[in-house]
Amino acid sequence: MMTTRKLRRASQWVVFLLFAFLFLNTEYKDNDVLPYAVNIFLRLDPLVAGAATLAGRALIGLVWPALVVALLTVALGRFFCGWFCPLGAVIDAADATVFRKTRRKGAVPASWRRYKYLILVFLAASSLFTLQWVFLFDPISILIRTFTVSVFPALNLVIHRIFDGLYRSPGPIPAFSEPVYGFLKSHFLAFEQPVFRTSAIVGLLFLGILAMERHQRRFWCRNLCPLGGLLALVGRFGLFRRRITEAGCTRCGLCESDCRMSAIGGDVAVTDHGECIECMDCQAICPEEVIHFSGTEGRKPAAVDLTRRGVLASAALGAFTVPFFRVEAHGKAPDPLLIRPPGALPEGEFLARCTRCGECMRVCIANGLQPTWFEAGIEGMWSPILVSRIGYCEYNCTLCGQVCPTGAIRRLPLPEKRKTRLGLAYVDRSRCLPWAGQSDCIVCEEHCPTWSKAIVFREERTQTARGEWRMFKKPYIVEDLCVGCGICETKCPLADRAAVLVTSRGETRSTGVLAK
Amino acid sequence: MEIAFAGAYHVVMTPDGCPFSRRRFLQAAGGAAGAFAASALFAPLLQAAIGKTVDVGVSSAASPAERARRAVALVGGMKSFVSRGDVVVLKPNIGWDRTPEQAANTDPEFVVAVAEMCLAAGAGSVRVFDRTCNDARRCYVNSGIKDAVEQFARKNRVEDALRIYHVEDRKFVRTSIPNALSLKEWDLYRDALEADKIVNVPIAKHHSLAGITLGLKNMMGIMGGNRGQIHYRLPECLVDLHRRVPVALTVIDAGRVLVRNGPSGGNLADVKPFGKAFASRDVVAADGIAAEKIFRLAPRDVEHIGRAMASGLGISSVGQIRLVEG
Repeated sequence: MMTTRKLRRASQWVVFLLFAFLFLNTEYKDNDVLPYAVNIFLRLDPLVAGAATLAGRALIGLVWPALVVALLTVALGRFFCGWFCPLGAVIDAADATVFRKTRRKGAVPASWRRYKYLILVFLAASSLFTLQWVFLFDPISILIRTFTVSVFPALNLVIHRIFDGLYRSPGPIPAFSEPVYGFLKSHFLAFEQPVFRTSAIVGLLFLGILAMERHQRRFWCRNLCPLGGLLALVGRFGLFRRRITEAGCTRCGLCESDCRMSAIGGDVAVTDHGECIECMDCQAICPEEVIHFSGTEGRKPAAVDLTRRGVLASAALGAFTVPFFRVEAHGKAPDPLLIRPPGALPEGEFLARCTRCGECMRVCIANGLQPTWFEAGIEGMWSPILVSRIGYCEYNCTLCGQVCPTGAIRRLPLPEKRKTRLGLAYVDRSRCLPWAGQSDCIVCEEHCPTWSKAIVFREERTQTARGEWRMFKKPYIVEDLCVGCGICETKCPLADRAAVLVTSRGETRSTGVLAK
Repeated sequence: MEIAFAGAYHVVMTPDGCPFSRRRFLQAAGGAAGAFAASALFAPLLQAAIGKTVDVGVSSAASPAERARRAVALVGGMKSFVSRGDVVVLKPNIGWDRTPEQAANTDPEFVVAVAEMCLAAGAGSVRVFDRTCNDARRCYVNSGIKDAVEQFARKNRVEDALRIYHVEDRKFVRTSIPNALSLKEWDLYRDALEADKIVNVPIAKHHSLAGITLGLKNMMGIMGGNRGQIHYRLPECLVDLHRRVPVALTVIDAGRVLVRNGPSGGNLADVKPFGKAFASRDVVAADGIAAEKIFRLAPRDVEHIGRAMASGLGISSVGQIRLVEG
């Protein structure tokens, strides 16, 4: 009876490879329109769909595939976690390699598994009051964000360092290494080395999730993952479930001790269908071959005790803390450097929908979209911000709106995008070379992409630092033409702080209010 | 083919000469026929006194490809610049995320025609690249140059010999420039440093700092690092760059010319049809003539061309130019 377990493992591999493929193709590939839904994993995620819909107070057409997963879960139980979840696959892979020989001491209390439900309650309650925290816990969001911001850039760096070394090495080595490098470059590596704020901490948090495997298999999935909790609730009455032909069972307990989710409890014939992720290991290892997965009803499960106190506390925490965040001063005076991607909804709706998955940062062609720390408050952490000193918004590019899974960034047609203003540039006249009478420079003007230039020159006499009067071409910003793309700030040759900078003033979406 | 000695230039080209009075003097002196006659008579003598002459080919053929071919033929054909087996770097302008119609990048047909000539002259390999200002992928695609070059290579089964590729950071080599006026040291692209011949294929256009951008400025595409910084002393830096990496042939695309809001432009109203190509082994001569013919600017008044003339990079006066039209 090895076949179903093999099938499950194959499914995990296929899904993970698909995930990796879509991740790698969340990139400009000589085509203005991405040819397929690279964001499909997020759109399949009922937790993301639920939170964005609830907090955003809107029916979001993009997330309809999540409904399919929810319905399938009703029918099949929590198969998603065992068969489909790419984070689950990574965790299982870590388990099968790094933690293969780990002897786990000190059992994690079984009661901890209720935390995932309590987190879910907390998320639901806060989402109901427009504050969306789902980004902190959603496994798909975590995985894509981590790959985008940490894993992929780091991997890219390491591979580049290796092949750069080989490239510079003497003798025939480059002749062998370069074809390999060329292949990697065209299929896997980034076009240019991406860099991200918060990359180290995002990477460490992810390692933390994996490190918990040291204490318990699928620690994250059992105890913390609110998507797992949601699917458990939806799937606990699933028709497809584990069943034992009790007549042949010797009560050897192998299935119970081997279960990665501890879903078999007390009596080996009793399965907690909320916890069982249908990995089918028990079926594969049962020496008597009496375990089956089928549509037939087995023995009733023992319910997880969420405790009334726990549920109330979580709901209260979710709901009653919302006002504290709503009276943070940035609601009244937002950070002037908080420049959102083109097509971003008004700030309140934007944060309600944005799941911080990092898709927009991954696809941003100039690496300009970065995760925030606290520019948008604590609740805005890891949401996208255009940091023009790192990279600018490419005038003819609409990719971020194409990959956003919840419509927090609207998909804009190119003509509309070109008119969408992210902010406005201003010239720091005390530092700008011609303004300060230092030297000629036209770099901001030459890069300005609007067809009628939003940066123009006026030739004016200025006294240089040495006291001579000279003509300089001084840049002026034409505010009704500037779209705030930030290329001037990116390219300004002053190496540290640019002399032409963009702030969010005049942004197209701006309404100046947070969520109602 | 019509050969005109541009003798009129050195008649009026005095060190303190002002371009406008020079032009007016020229016109007053009897127009084109008179100038032609005068130059035909006196030019050889004067040229002998000043120094050797340099040919600049000017073609007005109908298509970009034909213009490129004619212009190069007028200065002796590609075989006089590229030898059998040469590794050639062909450097077009692919700097901007703009379409060919917007005339911020060299016309793709023009680029392909020059590449084809290099291969026909026996070049072992032709390498096409530019360090772009917008995202490199977008520039390569939307300029039409990547597609045109790759399609030509595929169709003619010369994929190995003719390649267009992106610039990689690791291939920039810190290069010192002896006796530099300003650019003592910079990261330059290894392929350009190691090439046997460099064929410079700029598009002529307006430039907000340099006034105009032609062959001299186009070679900034082999520079790494923060290029914005050399704008502080652009003319000197360009001279230094060309001293270190001399160009074998410059072929200027002046089919469509961006006359305002360069170098990136975007607005089709700023693009004027001009229908010419210029070619010369001397980048300063090519730029000088192009400045005059396209933009009605006296070369010495374009600061970086004037500086290049004064520094002995190429011709030191337009009087040395022999215009070959066809």
